Amino acid sequence: MVNPNRASFEDKMLLTMFDACDAAKDATQDDIDDRLAFLDAVRASSIGLEGGKPPSLKICGVVFHMLRTVKSLQLIMACHKLLVDLEKHFPRAYLSDEDDSLSSSNAPPKLVVAEEAWSPLILGLDNAAVVSGASEKQSGGSLDPSSFHLLIQELAEILTDSNFQEKGMKLLQSLLLFQYLVIVLEGDFLPRNATMNWSLQRKSWLNMLLGSRKINYKSLMKNCIEVICLLCQPFENDNFHKSNTALFLALAEVLKNTRVSIDKFLVMILALDVSKKKADIEGNTSRSDGSRTPLVDIILDELAYNKDNIPHFFKTISEPKWKTEIVVQYLWKYIPKPAARTRRSSGVTEDTTFDGALKCFSNKTRTKSIIKKIGADVVQLLLAHGFQAQLSILSNSALVDLCREFISTFESLRSTDGNMEILSIGKEALFTAACVISMKS
Amino acid sequence: MDDPLDFELQDDLLVPLPINKKRKKVIGLDDLLNEHYKEQEKLAEKQKKQAKKKAKANEKKKYDDEDRKEAHLNRLVEKCHNQLKAFGEENEIPVWGVEVFGEQKPFPRLDFPDLGSCNFIQSFLNNRLNSVVELAADKGDSFLEGLLVNGWLSKLAFLSGHVEKPVALWAFNSMLYSSKEELQNSSSDFWCEILSSGNEADQFSVKVDWFPEYKDLRSALDTYGFLFKFSSSAAHESSDSNNGGPPQNIRAWIRFVTYCCRIKSKKAILSTIEAEEIVEIIICMFLDRRFQGLLVLLYDCLQAVVDYFTDQEWCSSCENVAKFIACRVSEDLNCIRTVECVSEDSSRCRQLRSAIAYQTMLFCFDGANNGEEILKSLDAINLKHKSCDFFKLYIHLVLAKNWILSNNSVEDNEVIHEMFCSFLRNCSTFISPTDLRSYASEVRHKASYLLNFSV
Repeated sequence: MVNPNRASFEDKMLLTMFDACDAAKDATQDDIDDRLAFLDAVRASSIGLEGGKPPSLKICGVVFHMLRTVKSLQLIMACHKLLVDLEKHFPRAYLSDEDDSLSSSNAPPKLVVAEEAWSPLILGLDNAAVVSGASEKQSGGSLDPSSFHLLIQELAEILTDSNFQEKGMKLLQSLLLFQYLVIVLEGDFLPRNATMNWSLQRKSWLNMLLGSRKINYKSLMKNCIEVICLLCQPFENDNFHKSNTALFLALAEVLKNTRVSIDKFLVMILALDVSKKKADIEGNTSRSDGSRTPLVDIILDELAYNKDNIPHFFKTISEPKWKTEIVVQYLWKYIPKPAARTRRSSGVTEDTTFDGALKCFSNKTRTKSIIKKIGADVVQLLLAHGFQAQLSILSNSALVDLCREFISTFESLRSTDGNMEILSIGKEALFTAACVISMKS
Repeated sequence: MDDPLDFELQDDLLVPLPINKKRKKVIGLDDLLNEHYKEQEKLAEKQKKQAKKKAKANEKKKYDDEDRKEAHLNRLVEKCHNQLKAFGEENEIPVWGVEVFGEQKPFPRLDFPDLGSCNFIQSFLNNRLNSVVELAADKGDSFLEGLLVNGWLSKLAFLSGHVEKPVALWAFNSMLYSSKEELQNSSSDFWCEILSSGNEADQFSVKVDWFPEYKDLRSALDTYGFLFKFSSSAAHESSDSNNGGPPQNIRAWIRFVTYCCRIKSKKAILSTIEAEEIVEIIICMFLDRRFQGLLVLLYDCLQAVVDYFTDQEWCSSCENVAKFIACRVSEDLNCIRTVECVSEDSSRCRQLRSAIAYQTMLFCFDGANNGEEILKSLDAINLKHKSCDFFKLYIHLVLAKNWILSNNSVEDNEVIHEMFCSFLRNCSTFISPTDLRSYASEVRHKASYLLNFSV
């Protein structure tokens, strides 16, 4: 039905529609209406058609540029929705498991990548001279790794400032941009990672972004953790609510969704680290893969350095597996190793599970030394969050054992440090443990 | 042996820098010849430049002439521009938007459940651990909040497979009436997690002792100040009245309704009429500019409610909703908004879109009984006439487009389709591009765009 001539004609027509409204200006309602009509036309000519194609690179670039520059709330939301819907409708990569031959019915699913698709990120051009000379216009408004880092820094800045009344629109734009980029990275990474094939995984945008020499990876990650904690501030402001209800409601919703996005972003990186380590062990990596500090290590450093961040961080990271992992590694960093090993214990490796960590608290001297090293409050926080994560992982019979072990750990903590005040999260955890025991036994 | 190793090839840092090529070498005949050619080229260029200089001098005269012309043109354009501006100021571009929320009513007091009535708390009070936790029956409120906000309550719900009535009720009320954002979000997450648990068609994986009814949801909206009896034609220009607008809790309300609609097979909370009312309410919210930022929430909710109906119910419900909306919204940009806020992503939504547009047109063309009559009266408009109201025409054009093109069964009706096309042709040919009356060009553009791409 759609012949190529008509398609390219349509493309031109769409762009004229866009040009008709002077670029980078949306001062009047007229401009806004024109742009909305443009977005509607783009949607109708891509998602709206059965078997439609994604819009041209240029059009995608224009919409993306609009998301970042326009000032009208209605337009920003419409741009974001269109971009997200396009992403859903035209996946960048997916696994096709259609059996094209009978012989390979057991073959792993094949990765299909839309190579020619438009991308909001320019990656893999690190060393090329092109980048230094290419202005934003030439690259169609796409962001390079350094702009990505800049975006995160900007987020941290505005959130710290929390002058939402003035910078609210800018904040909203940055948050939506970040959410969109996470969706794009995810769309590319998840199917690649599912192949378990490093040669495909290493080409994921996420890996290229983090490996780019244009960013300081460690400081990017630190900024992300900072943003997580800033996002946990309650968003309540009566004056702002009264003076600009639309923006206030929009921000409340978008802030909440950004917590989910940044959780996804970090969990993706954690998964990438695992894949890379596996490839390393199997000898599939090369020197060009470079070496990156695993994110877990950066997180542990950051949390140890800034203890106030611990509750926020664990509240945001939703996956129980990673919660447990981080808690356990944190604890084991400070659990004293038996200094003189007897012959009997020399062969035994440390039990680096959550359960193993709990058992360490049965020894008074060890408990004392841990409390001394990381502080009673942090110990409680870690144990409570680790316990909560385990509740989602373990099943029936193991649950009761876990709860018993957890309660006795807390008792040991209290008997070691008589003055210790139990935090409210500790009390809640103990209450939960007691309830689980009574309902399961 | 000097070749780089494999990995060195891939490492950009190790790629050798380009070696400077200025090296002494023996001068050969070829070099001499090259030099000769280069010199000749230089000569030729010099001559060219001289020729250009002459030409420039001639052109300068011409440019001066052109400058004068340009200045004149500039003045003309400016004059026109000013005229246009004055024209534009006369009839300011209207904006859609109706405030569907008025003054908030006082929120009900958030009663904490009597902890003694919750079995799981009651049984804990005698636990020896309570010497540490220090939970007392009379000051359990903040403790319960902690359990909810820190995620313990939902863990307990799923592990025990049971949510007791006082807890369900309290979480519902804190979702809708608490002023603490954290508590709103947590209780909304708690409820949504429970509602979306379990198999697709089966039961929830958690037994919930209490479910809200529609009246609970409706009274929350009433408290927020929702104007159930609004009508945009009677609407006062209330943009200045600073009534604070809906509270943040409205987000949780919309989300909760969305989840409720998705679980019909497990628990049908709404009757057909109630669901119709919710469709109407959501469309009204789209009309309020204060909801612009909640676009995605509203879209999801509308889709969920629309899917709530059975096929049988939908036909009449769709028409009921459309009629309700049509008679309340004035014949301006607002009626376009009510049509275009319904997404085109699903067939039911397209059907609703078409129906609202159709009913609105029937309402606009008082006296028209069916689609053909509407199109006939559209066709009869004299586009050349001075009194032709292009703003109205624009609205009718958008409505007609949505009515006809959003619904396949209407689009397939040849008579209607042909009449619509002829109307579009009239608009695109008989309105002059120089017609400066407001909305004349909009009508013309829209009509030719539709002719080219949609019909």
